[in-house]
Amino acid sequence: MNLKRDRLQVIHDILEAIRNKNGKIKPTHILYKANLSHQMLDEYLTELISKGFITEEKSKQGKTYSLTQKGFEYLNKYSLIIDFVDSFGLK
Amino acid sequence: MAEFLLIQTLLLHWNTILEFAFAIIALIVGIFALRIYNLSEQKQSLLFGISFIFISASYCIKSLTNYLIISKLNENICQALKLYDVSILNSIGTYSYIFLFIIGLVTLAYMTIHQKSIQIYFLTLAITLTSLIFSSNIILLFYILSSIFLILIFLHYLLNYYTNKQGKTLLVLVAFLFLLFGSIHFILSVNHALFYLIGHILELIAYFLILTNLLWVNKK
Repeated sequence: MNLKRDRLQVIHDILEAIRNKNGKIKPTHILYKANLSHQMLDEYLTELISKGFITEEKSKQGKTYSLTQKGFEYLNKYSLIIDFVDSFGLK
Repeated sequence: MAEFLLIQTLLLHWNTILEFAFAIIALIVGIFALRIYNLSEQKQSLLFGISFIFISASYCIKSLTNYLIISKLNENICQALKLYDVSILNSIGTYSYIFLFIIGLVTLAYMTIHQKSIQIYFLTLAITLTSLIFSSNIILLFYILSSIFLILIFLHYLLNYYTNKQGKTLLVLVAFLFLLFGSIHFILSVNHALFYLIGHILELIAYFLILTNLLWVNKK
């Protein structure tokens, strides 16, 4: 088992954190749940938005993030993705 | 002479069937990898999928042209015109196979080196294809280049097995070892149908292992 988390695991942790908050979460909660630095979190969130896994909503209370259908699918199929990627050496 | 031709035709039949089987297996693996890419947006899965689609297309064309050659030979083996057609068909099949297969292998090798620069991929592809086009013995060079790329890919899977010691990673490692053996075997047996068949049997074992691994992954 690798001590260092890979990208797929980090993405899973972020999406899982959002799902556990009923599909809507503030960035500070993600920061805490996914155990990332502020800069890393920003990078991941930008990437996840551009790839369509999450959406960002801005309001007076600040930013919130929600899972898209693609985000839910990623979480549901995560073990399949990891199995495929591990066995075919795609990391 | 008749017996020799009969054996050659029989071997051609077997090669056609095996190549068709490889095309199907590679296509299944390629589609599955693209499905994983669709779910994860992971670049390595995309490259892996594209490489297997190219490999599948190469076998598909080779199998189809072999099938057409067999059909032509069955029509009338003595007609010079038909034999000319057969020669053209054989050239189309062989060259299409070589170029598509090598594109697949370059893509797979590029995936294993974890390079973000796409220029390196296109540079490797350009050098490989150019050297094949201007080679005086394209088939021999093709198998030599394939073996070099397969050594690189095999080393990647060897490292993958060391870092992740599981039955599944071992299966893929052994599969690529068989593909490498098959490719080296082809270097030693260019233009010899029986050795060509043995090379294909090594490939069959490799693709069977890859398919087994895929089914194992999908079963969970």
